[in-house]
Amino acid sequence: MLCERCKIREANIQYTEVVNGVKKEHHFCAQCAKEMDFGVYAAIFDGEFPIGKLLSGLLGIEDDNQGPDKLHQISCPTCGTSYDTFVRDSRFGCADCYSVFGPLMEDSIKQLQGSLHHTGKAPVYQNTEDEGEKGGKTNGKVLVKGVSEEEKELSELDSRLKEALRFEDYETAAVCRDRIRELRKGNETNA
Amino acid sequence: MHRWYEQNPAGRPGIISSRIRLARNLQEYPFPAKLDDKVSTELVHRLEFGLKDIGEVEEKHFKFALLNEMEELDRVALKERRVLNSAALTKKKPSGILLSQEEDTGIVLNCDDHIRIQMLGAGLYLEELWEKADKLDDYINERFEYAFDDRFGYLTSFPTNVGTGLRASVVVHLPMLSQGRKFSSLIGDMSRFGACVRGVHGDVEENFGSLYEISNLKTLGQTEREIIDTVTKAAIQLTNQEMQVRKLSIQKRKIEREDEVYKSYGVLKYARRMTFRDSMIFLSQLMAALSDGLVKAKEDVSVYRLMLGIQPANLQKISDRPLSKEELDIARAEFIRRELPALK
Repeated sequence: MLCERCKIREANIQYTEVVNGVKKEHHFCAQCAKEMDFGVYAAIFDGEFPIGKLLSGLLGIEDDNQGPDKLHQISCPTCGTSYDTFVRDSRFGCADCYSVFGPLMEDSIKQLQGSLHHTGKAPVYQNTEDEGEKGGKTNGKVLVKGVSEEEKELSELDSRLKEALRFEDYETAAVCRDRIRELRKGNETNA
Repeated sequence: MHRWYEQNPAGRPGIISSRIRLARNLQEYPFPAKLDDKVSTELVHRLEFGLKDIGEVEEKHFKFALLNEMEELDRVALKERRVLNSAALTKKKPSGILLSQEEDTGIVLNCDDHIRIQMLGAGLYLEELWEKADKLDDYINERFEYAFDDRFGYLTSFPTNVGTGLRASVVVHLPMLSQGRKFSSLIGDMSRFGACVRGVHGDVEENFGSLYEISNLKTLGQTEREIIDTVTKAAIQLTNQEMQVRKLSIQKRKIEREDEVYKSYGVLKYARRMTFRDSMIFLSQLMAALSDGLVKAKEDVSVYRLMLGIQPANLQKISDRPLSKEELDIARAEFIRRELPALK
């Protein structure tokens, strides 16, 4: 079938419009579709990450419905990615963004990936300990880095502290600082 | 030493190459887009140092290079040979690559994700490539802790890669099937099975060379084997259909097919100026005819190698200077004339 707009190229995009309960089907070629105004869905027709951009389209719409102000205030404490940047780039800033933005976009991930649960491979060497908690279980073998749990947590906290200071997130910085003090004290008494 | 694309894919006709890509990130750093130059450099050097024995896993010789210090032309040439993606081309921050001599194994450091393992091979070898990538992944994981979540799996910069972080893809050659009216609906059907089909060269309206890349749409909720299985099945199904149409075309209009390929060969062998588009169309016809046994070459030839070779950056590298569009067409015609073997 030829594109109904240019009538030259083969139509490969089917666009179904429902206006007041009346369904209308249109057939366009990708180029015409790109030129036409499909609002946020226009992103589907260009770019390297069509699915990724589609996601920002979907989230953008949610944004309008859910009172944007509240969401705009959310940002990741670890890397400083704000909800706006996250929606614009469809890109996470760090591993912790998944716990910050994850709950907000479960529906979108489900739509995108068809699932919310990983069933494939898991790392052989993985420390499953939750941040800030000691004595967690280790999955499989212990990391072969020869670093004790405390030292590891200390270095992690240290980098988080620096990061927090860089983004002027003094609240997180204070939490990190206190935890570092606590750990260092513990080390001294152990030694 | 042969590069992977210089070998002719054995086995299934119509299947050009397979690729496995795994996206991984380290637990202790934010994702690459959030790293400044200093931390990026530190990360790249830590990875390079930590993975210096990587050659032993694969029994291959690896070279390391900083992408941000590489000449742009070299980067583009690597993209043309499918070693790098376009994100790696534009990346300004410190990033690196560990690449095997055969260019079939590459580990890109600090581009879209901290680590991207890529395995390439001629023919349909997703299963084997996955096994190798899996081994390499474990080797890296012995040295660096990954960002992993029990629920979301391997955490990646883009939500489109989360879970397995696996993109399995196969490049297939579908010159006849893609001309059919039902091709776009066929591609639509593939997406219902979780496979995405897109043209490799050219724009959306016209895919010259008729090379199509089939890859998995989803990365979360399926095991690696299931993903590989989906892509493999889609590749086999599409190429089987292509071969049926081709068989029919030989039965019904053999003389037209022969006429077409001899004309194409004549142009490829004797023209003095060749655009990329025309070269791809003619090479595609030659590829199909060689595979169907309509013509035979005196020497073994990988038409796919020629298709990779006629791209702008590679031609400029051969000429050792920047070329205008006109000069590129001349260099391209020269390259094809030189590399194309005689017919029997």
